[in-house]
Formats: sequence, C-alpha cells, structure tokens
Amino acid sequence: MRRVGIVGAGGISRTHADRWLQMPGVELAGFFDIAEDAAQRAVEAFGGRAYGTLNELFDAVDYVDVCTPGTAHAEPVIAALEAGLPTVCEKPLANSVDDCERMVDAAERTGTPLFVAMVVRFFPQFAKAKEVLDSGAIGAPGVIRTVRSGSYPDAGSAWRKGLAITSYYADFAQSGGVLLDLCIHDIDYQRWCFGEIERVFTRGMMFAGKEPVDHALLTLRFASGAVGHIEGSWAYPRGRFSQRIEIAGSGGVIEWDSRARAPVELALANGDGTLAASGSSPTAPQDDPYYAELAHFVSCVEAGEPFLVSPYDGLMAVKISRAAIESLETGKPVTIG
Amino acid sequence: MTDRPNQIHEQKATEKRVSDSAAEVRLGLFSFAHMHAASYLHFLKPMAGVTLAGIYDDNSERGRRFAIQADIPYFEKPGSLLDEGVDGVVICSENASHAPLVQQAAGRVRAILCEKPIATTAADGLAMIERCRETGTKLQIAFPMRYSPPVIELKQRIDAGLLGEIYSVKCTNHGSMPGGWFADPELSGGGAVLDHTVHVIDLLRWLWDTEVEEIYAEVGHELLHPGLGIDDVGLLSFRLANGVFGTLDTSWSRPPSYPTWGDVKLDVLGEQGLISVDAFEQNLQVSSDEAGKTSWVNWGSNGDEGLVADFVAMIREDREPFISGEDGQAALEVALAAYESARRAEPVRLPL
Repeated sequence: MRRVGIVGAGGISRTHADRWLQMPGVELAGFFDIAEDAAQRAVEAFGGRAYGTLNELFDAVDYVDVCTPGTAHAEPVIAALEAGLPTVCEKPLANSVDDCERMVDAAERTGTPLFVAMVVRFFPQFAKAKEVLDSGAIGAPGVIRTVRSGSYPDAGSAWRKGLAITSYYADFAQSGGVLLDLCIHDIDYQRWCFGEIERVFTRGMMFAGKEPVDHALLTLRFASGAVGHIEGSWAYPRGRFSQRIEIAGSGGVIEWDSRARAPVELALANGDGTLAASGSSPTAPQDDPYYAELAHFVSCVEAGEPFLVSPYDGLMAVKISRAAIESLETGKPVTIG
Repeated sequence: MTDRPNQIHEQKATEKRVSDSAAEVRLGLFSFAHMHAASYLHFLKPMAGVTLAGIYDDNSERGRRFAIQADIPYFEKPGSLLDEGVDGVVICSENASHAPLVQQAAGRVRAILCEKPIATTAADGLAMIERCRETGTKLQIAFPMRYSPPVIELKQRIDAGLLGEIYSVKCTNHGSMPGGWFADPELSGGGAVLDHTVHVIDLLRWLWDTEVEEIYAEVGHELLHPGLGIDDVGLLSFRLANGVFGTLDTSWSRPPSYPTWGDVKLDVLGEQGLISVDAFEQNLQVSSDEAGKTSWVNWGSNGDEGLVADFVAMIREDREPFISGEDGQAALEVALAAYESARRAEPVRLPL
C-alpha cells in the first residue's frame, strides 16, 4: 500500500482526493494547507489527517500531490523532490518561468520523478485524436484548432464560493487569466500533437479591465511550419462550457465538439409543461481523465518509466503561455526562446 | 428575392413585385471560370423580367457548353455580347481578368456584378471603381453571404443589442482546395487567404459598419497540399475599428473525403452571451455507396439567389448597389494586408 499526501486543500485537490480514494493500492494519508481550517475541512470530506507542517506530511507518505495555486508550487515541489518523494504537480507547473526552471532543475538534480498534471492529455477524446493523428490517417499535420471556453470559475459549485482560490483567479497578475490557467492545456496539447512552437500571437481581454471576465484567441506557428489556433474563455454564459478539437492534415480532418449529441440525452416534462433537457457522456471509472493521470503517475513511478508529460513539457507550456501574455502586452508576435 | 424576405430587403421585395412586369432587364454572363457562374445562371434563367442575352467565355468549349445547356447564344468576344445591348453583366472570370472585363464593360452597361475578390491587386480594384464612377456604371461585388438567412438573423440580433457590449468574433471560412486556376498565382492573385478572407471580412464590415484596423496573419504554403504552389492555410487575427477583436481561419482544410465543401461560421461573444452562426448547417446527411462517403446536402436558402435578384432589382430600380466596389476593395485590402503581415511576421495596420 502506497500513501499519498496532498499539499493544498483548494479546488483541484478535492478532485484529486476523490480519485486517490478510488485507486487500489493507494491510501490517502491526508492534507497540508497553510490555512489549517481548509486542511481540516478536506479531512472531514475525504479522510486522512491534517498535517501541521510540510515535513510532517512528507514523513508520512510515499507520494506527494501538490495542488496549491501556481504561485505556490515551487517550494513544496522542490522540497518533496529533495525529500526523495515522487511528486505530482498540478498545472501550470508554476506561474513563472523562473519557478519552472528551478523545479525542472530539482527534478534532474534529485532524480526524483516529477509529473506535471496536464490532464487534457488524458481526456479520452484528446488522447484518441492524438492517436489517430499519429497513425497517419489524416496525413501530415497542417492546422490544429482547439477550444476551451466557459464562464469564470467562481460559483460552479457552492463550496467554492468564498474560497481564496476564487479571488486568486480574478487577480490576473497572480493567476495569469485564461492564458496561463486555461489555454495552457491547449498549448501543451497542441505542442504534444504538432511539436515545438516557434511563435505565438495573442488577442484577448486580460488587460481590458473586465476581470474576472477574460477571453483569448491565439495563433501559433510550429517549427514544422504548421499553424494552430486556440480559443480560451471565461466570458461564455454559465452552462455553455465548450471544448473542440479540429486537426487538419494533408489527407483528412479529425473533429470533435463537446456540444455534439451526447450518448445519453434526457428530455423530461416539467410540471408546468416546459422541457428539462440535458445530456451526459459517461465513461468507465478508469477512463476518467483525473483518475487516469494519477494512475499513470503511480504506474510509471512503480515501473521506473518516464511520464507522458515531462517536467520540460510543463516548463515549455508555461513559457509559451507567458509568451502569449507578452504578445498581448506588446501587440507583437513573440518568438519562443 | 429570397424565399423569406428579411427586414433589410422587405421594402425592395415589395417594390419588385409591383415593377416585375414593368421593365425587362437584359443580362450578359462574362465567363464561367468561377463555379459560382453556374449557380447565378441557375437562378437568373427562370427569373421573371430577366432576359439572358448570352454568354461570353474565353474558354469557348466551356462557354458553348453552358450556352447550349441554358439555350442562349455564345459569343467569342465580350464586345460582341455587349453589342447586343445589355443592361448588366455578371463577371465570373479568373480573378486577374476582373479588371480588364470591367474596364471593357463599364460605360456600355448600366451595372456590373463582379465575382469576389474585386481584383488581384489594390491598384486594379481602384482603377475598376474609378472607371465605373467615370462612366456612371454601377459596380456590385458578389458577396452572397450577406443574403444568407442565418447571417441576416445574426445582424438583426446584434443590431437589436442582444449581446450588449461586443467583445470578440471568432470566424472560420474553411473550404476544399478548388484547384485549377485558383492555385495559379497569376490568375488568382492568391490562394486560401485571398479566396476566403474577403467573404467574412465583408460580413464583419457590414455587421458593425466598421473597418479592420490591424491584422496579423500566419499563412501556410502547401501545408495541406504538397506541391500546390500557393498558400492553402491562413489564420488571421484582427482588431476592428469598433474595438472588437477576432480571428478568421481561411484554410482550404476540407479534404475530398469531408462531408461538405467547407463552412462559414461566426461566434460573436459579448457581455450578455454568445451567438454562434454556422451558415451552412441546414443539411441532410446522405450516405451514398456511389459517392463512397457520407455527405451533407444543404437545404438552406441559397444566398446566390438573393444576390442576383438584388442585382436585377438594383438595375430595374436604378438604385445604388447594396454591396459596392468600395466594399470589395476594402475586403481585398484586408487580404493583401494579411499576406503583408505574414511576410513581415508582424501586425499590419490598415488602410495600407
């Protein structure tokens, strides 16, 4: 039995805790959070214990899962690596390129596994699209377009209201807005599919003074000459979350749209004669992307194999997101150094 | 007129009914190089009060074939068709020939409907506009998407203020690689970027009565069609003078195996929400062993019909064109600026 400890008891840590609880061979040891009451509330919901310090948690676990905000990743991740504990780090690897480089250095120096939780690579439709692309079915890569658009992540679930994380997202200087929080998924995914990115040009609302509303449209040029487009949004009306994939090659196109018909659709008559319609797209528990990424972490660590996402991949995603923000600030395309 | 007269054309539709029998409009068709000519012919041929005086085409085999099908005369020279006395001509030649044909027809007809883009160079476009002005010839550019009912509904909802402040518009005008002269820079003036920038840019200018202020473009040459010899991918990122920003994908990224030729999509995002328009989403899904694939067969109203009906009505009523040469010129200049941006790898401000 392996024991995992979670650092940070905010939004994403609850998703991770839920998946750890489902995983055979893994026990959730508990939480550390600088806000003690947050750790305590997480313990009440998921079990384990609240640790008073990082080191107390490190002493009690085999793996560390860092789920703090991106501004507070570097210290606990580097400390965990130095303690020799294989570590999961929630995306982005960090909010600054400097922090990312220190973390990549620490992983190399200690030889301790560091997994960056770029969960979109584990979304089954995104993973399958990459598999089809790699099969050669659509020929040589030409244009990739992805969409990740919804409303601002504040009141999606009641428990989130009033959490520090909510105001953190709205402070774009801290969170990096949609470009660093959301588009980073697509930047990583597109780089995974099409290879290194040469330059990025951005239009968006990060500096429009409408926080927490944000919206960005990116154009990417890959080293191969191929091009990419990303839409990321916290400006969509609530309830209209949308994801899309479109990959065009020299011999075909791959498309997926989250708004296409769902495999399970409910059409129920309300008492007042109106219709309540909804749809869902269920998958088996092991195909849940959050479960899949954490199970991947465990199996790679146990087998001594490299992760699907390297620390360098995590660094590059942040570097390109930062370049996208710089493009927005300067109004110019930014070449990735 | 379109089957569903919309707000914008309602008045014209009424006038047309009154004047249908009043004045015959004689039209000539200049070239079938652009496939839209066949569609315009299809809608003009049965139109009340319209007489087709004939077809001129520098490709005599092609010209004769369409002339025989439509049971109208074929002419070897544009001048011979003009000698027959026509009120208007519809020009669907290769893009590079728009300019000489407009120069030739201006002054000898009352109106010209010119396929998009207006020309292959800004200088040609300006000269065409000038020549038409000098000769008192009305010049209309063929942007049929302005007559697409889903697009018209978008305009009506935006005009009604439904979205509040507009933030952004994300557009695609994907297509299949048309081949032939479209891939010959001498005749087309440009590939996917020129072919597919102008339709959507015209819509944006019309939707908000605004201009493109700045454009950045990533243009791909032979990315999807090795050996093509022209650009086949375009990602344009623009800012409009009204503050709205957006992107447009002009790529010929729909392969022969795709269920349809392409798309025109606009996602308009504002403070009150999102309006998504997919102008060619009214389809039957048809699976055919003979075709070897599943296709989407469109049953929506055809913008080409609205376009040519409006052109005929303009001549009959002696009014100014709904889509002017200047509109065509502005859209062309955005496409040219996109190429310039790609060459310089930096944003380009308009006007050039």
